[in-house]
Amino acid sequence: MSLNLIYHFHTSQNQDGDFKPASYGVVYFFSEQGFLEKDLLKEMSKTVPEADHENLTFLNLDDLKAFALRVCQETSEKEVRLMSVQDYNIGLDGAKDLKSFQTVFSKYGEVVVNESAKKKGLFGKLFS
Amino acid sequence: MTYLENAKQSDPVRPGEQWFFYWKTSAALWEGRIVQIPQHEVIFIPVYWGFHAESQTEWDFGKIQPERDLLRLVQLLTQHGRKFCWILPLTPAPYLPNGGVPVSAARTLSVSREGVHLAVLDQEQNLNKMFSYFEPKVFQSFGSFLKNFGAFLAQHKIKAPVWGAQFYYHQDLQNYSYHEDCSVAFEQGFSRYLKQNQTELTEAKKESELKDQFTQEVGNLFKSTAESTLAPFWMGTQRIISLGGSPKETILRSLPSGKSQLEYTKDLFHHFIHSDWISSSLLTPAEKKESLSWILNEHFGSKEIDQRYQYEALGGDLTPDFRPFGVIDLFGGKKNHHFRNLGLHHFLDRHFKWVYQSHDELPFTPEWIDVNHHKIKFFHGEDLDRTTFGQILKLFMMGQRILLDTSGLPEGLDKKLQIFLLENNLKSQSVNFMTSTQICELGEGRLIMFHGERLRENPNREKFWANIFRYLHLVQPEMLADEDVFSMWRIRATTPHELSYLDVRRVNIYNPTSYKKIVSIKTHKHFAFMKMIDPTRANAKSTPEGVDVELLPNGKIALDFGHYEET
Repeated sequence: MSLNLIYHFHTSQNQDGDFKPASYGVVYFFSEQGFLEKDLLKEMSKTVPEADHENLTFLNLDDLKAFALRVCQETSEKEVRLMSVQDYNIGLDGAKDLKSFQTVFSKYGEVVVNESAKKKGLFGKLFS
Repeated sequence: MTYLENAKQSDPVRPGEQWFFYWKTSAALWEGRIVQIPQHEVIFIPVYWGFHAESQTEWDFGKIQPERDLLRLVQLLTQHGRKFCWILPLTPAPYLPNGGVPVSAARTLSVSREGVHLAVLDQEQNLNKMFSYFEPKVFQSFGSFLKNFGAFLAQHKIKAPVWGAQFYYHQDLQNYSYHEDCSVAFEQGFSRYLKQNQTELTEAKKESELKDQFTQEVGNLFKSTAESTLAPFWMGTQRIISLGGSPKETILRSLPSGKSQLEYTKDLFHHFIHSDWISSSLLTPAEKKESLSWILNEHFGSKEIDQRYQYEALGGDLTPDFRPFGVIDLFGGKKNHHFRNLGLHHFLDRHFKWVYQSHDELPFTPEWIDVNHHKIKFFHGEDLDRTTFGQILKLFMMGQRILLDTSGLPEGLDKKLQIFLLENNLKSQSVNFMTSTQICELGEGRLIMFHGERLRENPNREKFWANIFRYLHLVQPEMLADEDVFSMWRIRATTPHELSYLDVRRVNIYNPTSYKKIVSIKTHKHFAFMKMIDPTRANAKSTPEGVDVELLPNGKIALDFGHYEET
């Protein structure tokens, strides 16, 4: 079982005199059971102090990965796949039906493995 | 579900709401499919305009391909005495490949606010990608199609009405038009728009306002062009929300768990409360099962379709047929969720769940006034113009119960209100409880004016609404049920052997969850439990206070109550 995170990169902006640095925003975060609860994501984002917890945006890709891994650990999933909106769109453009659309989530993006879940094999689970 | 019902739901040619997808089957099979449709049902033919494109300016209505032969389709429908009308998409249509756009004009994919391409899974699990309506080629092509389609209808003297359809998806409790777009085509169009209007962008807020304005203007351009080109046949425009059609739902529907019956039911009831019209054409047979199929058939079925498309209008008097029943209407206030922020929605959800609806506009027609005379109507001063304000005062004079939140009421209308009260010698009673409230009475009419803004931050505002509704004395059975149990009320006139009742109310109760649920209905000495109808995995028993219902997973039941005056 794995998680999928689709993110959007926002370039830095000068809005109404306020400078907004470049950021990585969470667009969709889901498992095979559906979308993850926003409250859980906000709570988990607190492990990255510099993040905008309300809007789920992160200052760099490493912070986003750290957050994704933290969610992965919390939900005891084996891995999380991070995919940019651009990658998702490329995959989407090539898909023509449900089957080919489903492969987008195994073809594109970068996988971050939750080592703690991986180590917990059958025996680990039995003795935990 | 019977075999026939199952077959009907898995038919890609008839995907729901009496639509007929002529391009999904061979023209040789049209007749066989048409005769299967119940005689009384109006047939809606969505026009797949891109399908008729032979080249950029040539359109085929059957000379080249038999599946494009709309004349033959019309002849078959006429021959079998069927009523029908056309549905012309005015935005990308989610149930069509390319959103309906011809291949030659499908150049730029539409992009959602989140930056993802708009793509939708249809009933057969094909992935339909929406193409931008901001691409100049699309408008040229659409205009050319309209001209040819109009000429075709006129040449063959086809008098069937044409409805324009604007398609929306529902995501995170908001409706978004498929017309909305953030693609390069939109940005380029927006730059041209700014240049044309000689506007310079200085603030981000202004940019987003102008983008909304540009989106709306282009949308209106498609609508007005269709309206003027097809004027002799034009009936109006419908806003249609496609169930399962949002970018988020495309992902959700592709997952092994899919979108649950509960989530779809929540959406359906949300649309009912907001008086949105829906389309279930994207849903697969597996998605459209049990609870969802019951609710669609029982509350979004043939009768409701006829009313929505003005084939049938309800009269002011009740008839022996059940009709939808509600007790409260909210008008406007959608901007900034005004009534929600005053705690009104919260109160209504607790005490009058599913018997209130919110509307964008006041449809001030004699039929509508007659049918909805009994309903309590809420208005927000900020949304009112002179015409609507005048109409509200007329409703009050006709004996209706009006609640007017005067916050934000334009100054001119405030003066008009004072003059109206003076001229009609209406004395108002002032109450100062949490906010200033004025109550005017005229025969059966009630005009309650209150300053809503003061309720916004008040944690005890629930008490204000409780007092208002106690004063209005609304008589309705009280339902105590879990959040995930859904119900819909209907009403009918009494039959000769039910003379002791004022009317008969039917409540349909649904449990789309996989848990057992208990519902308790308290009749409060105004209603008598008559009978239960069609229980499926459900049971009801009478109690001294009313009725207790037990619903197993995916259970449903209907209960009839006789309404009588308190003695």
